[in-house]
Amino acid sequence: MKQNSLWKDAFFRLAKDKLALFSLVIVLIYFLVALLSSMGLLASTWSQEVGASNLPPSLEHLFGTDIFGRSVLQKVIRGTQVAMSVGVAASIIAIPIGVLLGAFAGYFGGWIDDFVTWLYTTFSSVPNIMLLISITLILGKGIFAVYIALGATSWVTLCRLIRGEVMKHKEREYVQAAGAIGGGHMRKLFRHILPNVSHIIIINTSMQFQIAIKSEVILSYLGLGVQGEPSWGTMIDDAKLELVRGVWWQLAGATVAMFFILLAFNILSDALRDALDPKLKGK
Amino acid sequence: MTLPLLSVKNLVVEFRTGEGIVRAVNNISFDIPHGKTIGIVGESGSGKSVTSLAVMGLLQKPAAVIPQGEIFFNGVDLLKCNENEMRKIRGNQISMIFQEPMTSLNPVFKVGEQIAEAIRIHKNVSNKVAWEKAVHLMNLVGIPNPSASAHKYPHEMSGGQKQRVMIAMAISCDPKLLIADEPTTALDVTIQKQVLELLHKLQQDLNMSMMFITHDLGVIGDIADDVVVMYRSNVVEQNNAQEIFTKAIHPYTKGLLACRPKLGANPRRLLTVSDFMTEEGVEKTVPVERIQIFDKESEVIKTDHVLLEIQNLVTQFPIKGGLFGRTVDHFKAVDDVSFKIKKGQTLGLVGESGCGKTTLGRSILRLVEPSAGKIIYDGKDITHVQHEELRLLRKKMQIIFQDPYSSLNPRMTIADILMEPLNIHNEGGTKAQRYEMARALLEKVGLKASLMNRYPHEFSGGQRQRICIARALMLRPEFVICDESVSALDVSIQAQVLNLLLDLQQEFGLTYVFISHDLSVVNFIADEVGVMYAGKIIEMDKASNIYKSAKTEYTRALLSAIPKGETKQSLASLV
Repeated sequence: MKQNSLWKDAFFRLAKDKLALFSLVIVLIYFLVALLSSMGLLASTWSQEVGASNLPPSLEHLFGTDIFGRSVLQKVIRGTQVAMSVGVAASIIAIPIGVLLGAFAGYFGGWIDDFVTWLYTTFSSVPNIMLLISITLILGKGIFAVYIALGATSWVTLCRLIRGEVMKHKEREYVQAAGAIGGGHMRKLFRHILPNVSHIIIINTSMQFQIAIKSEVILSYLGLGVQGEPSWGTMIDDAKLELVRGVWWQLAGATVAMFFILLAFNILSDALRDALDPKLKGK
Repeated sequence: MTLPLLSVKNLVVEFRTGEGIVRAVNNISFDIPHGKTIGIVGESGSGKSVTSLAVMGLLQKPAAVIPQGEIFFNGVDLLKCNENEMRKIRGNQISMIFQEPMTSLNPVFKVGEQIAEAIRIHKNVSNKVAWEKAVHLMNLVGIPNPSASAHKYPHEMSGGQKQRVMIAMAISCDPKLLIADEPTTALDVTIQKQVLELLHKLQQDLNMSMMFITHDLGVIGDIADDVVVMYRSNVVEQNNAQEIFTKAIHPYTKGLLACRPKLGANPRRLLTVSDFMTEEGVEKTVPVERIQIFDKESEVIKTDHVLLEIQNLVTQFPIKGGLFGRTVDHFKAVDDVSFKIKKGQTLGLVGESGCGKTTLGRSILRLVEPSAGKIIYDGKDITHVQHEELRLLRKKMQIIFQDPYSSLNPRMTIADILMEPLNIHNEGGTKAQRYEMARALLEKVGLKASLMNRYPHEFSGGQRQRICIARALMLRPEFVICDESVSALDVSIQAQVLNLLLDLQQEFGLTYVFISHDLSVVNFIADEVGVMYAGKIIEMDKASNIYKSAKTEYTRALLSAIPKGETKQSLASLV
């Protein structure tokens, strides 16, 4: 006798999608690489000279070397660590803010809703990159500022989605039924409504993750992001001047690494939406 | 002998799903002669809608396959037609009306434009001619002031009017066959009666054939010449309507006829399909005590203790308007309502949609805050109690909702759902004891205890409603409001749930307020009946008195609108 929760059903639907599974594997590999790198097990010697300056890719140096003779492969791996950590940090900051504000606004309405709506319309009316720049200017340059800046901007979409969905669900009869058996607001909101809108958190986080990665690259490219560490953004920035001399491998390394993780997240987000969103079921 | 207009022969429809092949229609055959109406009856999932979609060529491919069978329309096998040929037939010679008028019309176009579009797809006429034809059709289907109404948008019309617009679209090209798939299920009884009369009149006047699909045998009696009864993908019986109602042969048909409560006298418990046949379809003899007519008058009133008293209750909602959303007026959903219910009795509240009966129910439970008046429960004024007191009150007063699909949290198991009331009120001892209580109650409402760890989506509508009933009873309440609790269920399931509610009332001494739009159901279950209209109770009396001698015009109109199909049928002939 099978007992399938909606989560299990969704997982089986996801598992049927081969392309999505492949994307999931790629995402997990990136996470693994980032984790190993942060533990010092991978690319710990990125700052050391491994050969002559600007060596093209070869068997010995897979991605070639940069102007200081450092391994581009190791720099790409360090860049992966930076990119993934930015995604994770932005999510850790954005999810609680977005979910809580959105849930309270949607559930209670009234002045709470007015305040939250005002807050996120204010945030979203300023162009994202301007906001990011101003936050990094206040907090000073560095990876920490990037975490805060991306966290502070990426809760807006999640908050808006959660608010709308909670408003819809609070009128449902199962929530009224919870009230009729004596359940209070917190029980209705956290035990009944939130589990039913939580698929949005997963789908949205997957989408926000790639936005965070892209934003970090842009910030670092502009010189506002990570300092003193390799990042895909700084590598692209460096490659700008080298390209005229035919040194293409630093640019290629960074963009190929970025390309695959972004593509994988894109496919995964779509597949997650197909699998989790009850509205699309059966299509 | 002339050829029938539509002839379905040995039709089989199968669906390929993730779990394998499901046979939705199993080798069925029937004919629809020229100018006749065929009623197809069956409960949800019996294959009746799939049959109609197969005729229309609208089955979702490639999931649906037709491995066998023929559908002859005017001598042409529709199953052999390609999509182009089908498109010429569909909407032109065969047209269809759907169940849900609210969603079948495009909200951004005027209704006149939508009818005119249907005409222009199949006929080469100018915009102006099509519009005039549309106005003419709207007149034909009885929409008042058609030339002005054609300029309305769908949201400006009532449900009954929208269904009339759908009918106008369906007959716009003078089809030879009209397929009506549960066209009146979403409508109030008085509107249902009007729509049925309209369909019958149009069928006669235009000399169409009609295929009328419904789960309700009562409706069929009013409209169909011949009846096809479907059960679990098979046709179990077909005959002319008169014969079906007087001399049903198949036990399933007999069960269907018996399970709908009558307006007159009823047995103590309703007969159900399972009284007539076993799960496997083998016929059973009905025990005699089941069909004995029960006389409510003879039953002594158990107690004189008034459990609930409502005094001049008003619940109003603000109407916002103006630039800054100021409250410009109030809409009184419940307007000066007073009544008393004695312990152990059932009060029925009847009215059409929008009459305020649901708001009244929620106001009594304080799920909606009443604006004025008093609610006195067990001698205590509960109109303004708050917090802890209100929470304790929830233990005594419960509600069972209408829609069994949305009233259970899809992310919780049945065990969690049933144990939640105990957890909230910290009752029932340890977790294991609570689990045991939930299990016992689940069995009491007729579900297997082994289903405790399942999730709501794995259950049928009737089973879900049983779970809702069990949840409401977990805290052993004294007073339960049933808000349209059986309206979303098939008639055969409805009878089972009504019997269950009666059994539970006896066993636990419950007091019910039973809210419904269906007078026959209320007549069966209620001791006293209140008829609601525009927020007021316009008539209130003993159930039997209401049905024998209604005082107001409105109640009489409601009564006469109930489909009479099976009332021609006496209970005695069922044995």
